[in-house]
Amino acid sequence: MSDKSKKKEKKPMAMKTRRSIEGFIFVLPWLIGAALFFIYPLFQSIRYSFSEMDSLAGTKMHWVGLANYSYLFNRSTTYIPKFLAQIKNTVINTPITLVFSLIIAMLVNRDMKGKGAFRTIFFIPVLLGTGFIMESLLGVGVGEVVTNSSDSMLTSILMQSIGGTFATYVTEFLSRITIILWKSGVQIILFLAGLQGISSSLYEASRVDGATEWENFWKITLPLISPIILLNIIYTMIDSFTDSSNELMADIEKSVETGTLCRGAAMGWLYFAFTFVICLLAILVMKKLTFNQGER
Amino acid sequence: MAKNIAKEYMENRAEKRNEKRINKQMEKEARKQLRAMIPLKDRITKKLVKKIIIAILIYLVLFDLAFVFLYPFITMIIDSVKSEADLLNSTVKWIPSSIEWSNYKVAFEGLQYSKYIWNSVFVTAVATIGHAFVCSFIGYGLARYKFPGKNLIFVGVVLSMLVPTQVLIFPLYQTYGQWHWLDSFLPLLVPCFVGFGLRGGFYIFLFRQFFLGLPWEMEEAARIDGCGCFKTFFRIMRPMARSSILVCTVLSIVWHWNDYFEPNIYLNQSPELLLLPARLPSMYEQLNVISSEAENIELASDVIINQAICMASTFIVILPLLIAYMFVQKQFMEGVERSGLTGM
Repeated sequence: MSDKSKKKEKKPMAMKTRRSIEGFIFVLPWLIGAALFFIYPLFQSIRYSFSEMDSLAGTKMHWVGLANYSYLFNRSTTYIPKFLAQIKNTVINTPITLVFSLIIAMLVNRDMKGKGAFRTIFFIPVLLGTGFIMESLLGVGVGEVVTNSSDSMLTSILMQSIGGTFATYVTEFLSRITIILWKSGVQIILFLAGLQGISSSLYEASRVDGATEWENFWKITLPLISPIILLNIIYTMIDSFTDSSNELMADIEKSVETGTLCRGAAMGWLYFAFTFVICLLAILVMKKLTFNQGER
Repeated sequence: MAKNIAKEYMENRAEKRNEKRINKQMEKEARKQLRAMIPLKDRITKKLVKKIIIAILIYLVLFDLAFVFLYPFITMIIDSVKSEADLLNSTVKWIPSSIEWSNYKVAFEGLQYSKYIWNSVFVTAVATIGHAFVCSFIGYGLARYKFPGKNLIFVGVVLSMLVPTQVLIFPLYQTYGQWHWLDSFLPLLVPCFVGFGLRGGFYIFLFRQFFLGLPWEMEEAARIDGCGCFKTFFRIMRPMARSSILVCTVLSIVWHWNDYFEPNIYLNQSPELLLLPARLPSMYEQLNVISSEAENIELASDVIINQAICMASTFIVILPLLIAYMFVQKQFMEGVERSGLTGM
């Protein structure tokens, strides 16, 4: 009897540690993976960024401190402009992508004829791939045709109606849109999944209470899909930062081939540190705003 | 007798139909009368007009967007059957004057399709199984348990998504070289089973977000009934995540199938192991060589690769994906519908 009561007393403590251990088991595969495929290459590549190679094979190198970084800042003429252009690109593209994919997801989420067909169509660019195939399609001129045809016609109209500078912004926006749309298939799917998960009873209840659709969107839809918004923000930013059509990435890729590996590593790390800070900021800000069931 | 019954039955049906029709007419008339009572101005209510206009607008927007989305795809298919003359003729855009199926034959042989497709299928299948299985596991741990260092691990997951492969590729290459993993599929497959690999971090993030949104009642009930943590996960939580797993599977298949950067680097010493998309760049390179020497096109006439053939080869590379997607499309969309990523 006394044994039993002791056990009962101990249980809350033991429960907590047991939960920790269980949680640890669940993430154990990731820890193994990190040890094998992530942490070592990560540090190795940081080391590269602070050294210079003696031979092309990359086996011998010596420490040069910040030389690679100072080279990028002071002497390289292409790095900083490309860097800034890329940041600007991402900062502009991410909100546009999110807004558009949310709008599209909400449109195909409505009960209407042909929604299945539209959903499939909006997923097709994802099937075409994020890699070489998409690039080659854009490269062969498919992309240019869409943007050019809409450009040339619109530019002339816009130039006449609203001054030159604003017109360039508008046309830039339009040419951006097509490419953005092609890259937003995944976001649409994720938003759709999120929207479908919202129980219709919530909307019915609010309708009974006399809420308009506009209020429904801000008070029900948006809070409930906020976890998906965070997921999409992170996905979109990373996709844009690490896109292989990105010029900076192309430079880094080239550095492996041309033997300026260490400089490439420095380029990568500088760039990456910045993107990491941005993504972390996004996560921290969104963590305050997102709704979830919490920990227990 | 039987005839009579049949006749009666038919008459009955006809009568019923008549009744229905009359009922409908009466209803219609009643409605008409009601409408007539309301002045014409108010009959076309604002609500109705608004509804119709909104519906039309939505369809317009959707068709516009659908065109933008389908444009590259349609162009690819049309270009792939164009003949040499049509390609050079800029007036031929949508309807080729003749359909050249031989483009596909050339592309098929040029890619050595039947040989390389199995490499692609194998790698994609195994890697996807790894991702779908392990990432849900890790994501669950991150979403539902509290343990020291959890936030650090989560930051690590985000990091693993963020650090571009291009930065890590050289150290990884060296490591795999030391392990004698190069020129085999191991570097592509093993990381997928520990939550890494091609966008592994993203799937972990996806599952974490999904499990975060699920209510706790199920797990608590399971625990009270004496389910261990693994049983809870495999019997209760994972079946609930079926739709997320489907999303993860489809994305993983698509991305693995189209990936060419990593395979190209790890497998470049053994061409017989190359994956299908990796065969494409070489075709395009040949195309570029030809177009850069456009003046000498007659000289290069024995090289048969033109843009149409490139498009045809691109199309047959993604064809298995399209076919596979057609099969899972319904389930995938249903899965998306039922996934409840927001969990309400």
